[in-house]
Amino acid sequence: MAHADTMPAHKSPTAASLSATFNPYSWVVGGVFAVLALPLVATLGYALATRWGATLTPDGLTLAWFIELWTTPRFLAAFARSLFIAVGALALSLALVLPVALLAHTRYPRLDRWMNTLILMPFAVPPVVSSVGLLQLYAGGPLALVGTPWILIPTYFTIVLPFMYRAIANSLRAVDVQSLMDAAQLLGAGPVKAFFLVVLPNLRGGVQIAVFLSFSFLVGEFVFANMLVGTRFETLQVYLNNMRGASGHFTSALVITLFVFTLILTWLGNRQAEHTITEAAR
Amino acid sequence: MMAATTRPPSSATTPKASQAAYRQQPAIASGATAASASRHTDHASSGNAISLKGLAKRFGDTDVFANIDADIAHGEFITLLGPSGCGKSTLLRAIAGLTSLNAGQILVGDTDITHLPPQRRGVGMVFQHYALFPNMKVADNVAFGLRMQKVPSDERARRVDEVLRLVEMQDQAHKFPHQLSGGQCQRVALARSLVVEPRVLLMDEPLSALDARIRKHLRDQIREIQTSLGLTTLFVTHDQEEAMLMSDRVFLMHQGRILQQDSAEAIYTRPRDENAAGFMGHYCLLDAVEAAPLLGYRSKAGRVALRPEALYLSVAGMPLGGEHPERVGPGVHGVVRRHRLLGNIVRYDIDCAGVSLTVDTLNRSARTLLPQGQQVTVHVDLDEVQELDT
Repeated sequence: MAHADTMPAHKSPTAASLSATFNPYSWVVGGVFAVLALPLVATLGYALATRWGATLTPDGLTLAWFIELWTTPRFLAAFARSLFIAVGALALSLALVLPVALLAHTRYPRLDRWMNTLILMPFAVPPVVSSVGLLQLYAGGPLALVGTPWILIPTYFTIVLPFMYRAIANSLRAVDVQSLMDAAQLLGAGPVKAFFLVVLPNLRGGVQIAVFLSFSFLVGEFVFANMLVGTRFETLQVYLNNMRGASGHFTSALVITLFVFTLILTWLGNRQAEHTITEAAR
Repeated sequence: MMAATTRPPSSATTPKASQAAYRQQPAIASGATAASASRHTDHASSGNAISLKGLAKRFGDTDVFANIDADIAHGEFITLLGPSGCGKSTLLRAIAGLTSLNAGQILVGDTDITHLPPQRRGVGMVFQHYALFPNMKVADNVAFGLRMQKVPSDERARRVDEVLRLVEMQDQAHKFPHQLSGGQCQRVALARSLVVEPRVLLMDEPLSALDARIRKHLRDQIREIQTSLGLTTLFVTHDQEEAMLMSDRVFLMHQGRILQQDSAEAIYTRPRDENAAGFMGHYCLLDAVEAAPLLGYRSKAGRVALRPEALYLSVAGMPLGGEHPERVGPGVHGVVRRHRLLGNIVRYDIDCAGVSLTVDTLNRSARTLLPQGQQVTVHVDLDEVQELDT
């Protein structure tokens, strides 16, 4: 039956191209893509426009807004703060999640089930609510972090926990950690050496994906940054919020910069994912 | 095929010399203990390569294995044979130090390695699923052990090359494990454990994941390499044929015990008890009463084990499949229930007065195949009857 359908298309190229044009799927996909892309394209246009008032198209094009943005010390400082906090949170979560995932995988399989429930907790509570709890938690005791930007690092750790744990647990499942450790030890490596030389390199793909995705997520995080620290430690999103009264062209340039940055990171992460998948498939 | 010229010069023919060469290496890991331990064995190379004394392992309330006692000579190829779940793999892992023991002592030479971590035991191991390091090329996989011993890079390269030649993988040195076939992976794994010149090589069902043709080839190759290096080897398998073909001695294991330690021939033809007979070959196990008509006398042993190839058929007084042996028991009448063609062997199921017997005959010609329902007489070779105590 399928053959009968496709046969005429093979015979006449015009029929094939026609059926491609009227393919309902491509219309749906194209429509959704347009709806999603339109605001972004408009923002890009606004960021590149000299003036865009009552006319349908901008009066002229310029890179001035971008140049102004990239030379604003306040923006660069906010960018640096966002990077710093994201890197810190990721380093903390790697240091904590990696050993836990390894132990859950090799020694205590029951822990894995607990972790799978646990990692959903940060999403069960809305950030506005949990930030109150976090403020209370870090108000005193050994970790009195309220009022300092450091509070963002343990907070962001809880946000990226699901990404990190799942990605690492999945890549652990893909390699037979126990027998790799066994083999390395019988060849004269101690357990620590065996882990760093033989297990960790084989988790690299999964860890990289987790890091890239979490990173782009954290750079765009606003609610916690605003609620917990706010203007005392201006991250990118907080800066964007504070600049909402300034020129629309300027904030558009900011949004586009942020978007491109995230896009590149996500693309890097996905490329790594595809690479890992093709490697596993071979 | 694997001539002496292709062998690493450092691993000489006699076990003694090979061990001496092994000892010249800066020794395993950071092992001051291992180095001094090795020096110990220098004086005792006349003794056993490995002694297992009263090994026991419990998991919760169940004994995985218990009372394992065995002495293995230098250069011996020992097979641990048994059904899955008999504790043979766990025993091997315990010798490697990958699993702790509840009791007993393991001596390599006269060094007690019972409490040494795996990396200081000087024991090599090959796994069923190869356990090659996926992030490293073949050459780096093989070099790993030498790197851990801090062998200088030029010597390392030489030894890696030699051992890869030994397993005929020198052309694949720059490939990654995922680019290799199963058989190739297992050769690399073998090379990787040979290159560090272990005192004992452990192999945990190394051929089970491979297809039949490659399995046969690699089986012969492993035995050849093992013999030429004089390497003491413990080989775990559930495959009777593998055990018979490769081993100097077979340790037959059942429910965590070694039932019998013997040459392959003795294990096959003279099983010590019912369990051993049950696992080896296709023994018919009869009790004394059932066996009496076949034997012509009432056995004093509780059980009688008969091998299918030690039973003979005749049809209407004509012996089937050539001359019968001299000392046969009195014939017993039976009926062919069915036959199975195994290629060179025809296996008959014969009903003999309520007892089912399995009889193997050589498949000499299609003309001699007996149809279902055929009346036959069954004789037994009295020299091949195994009377088992129960």
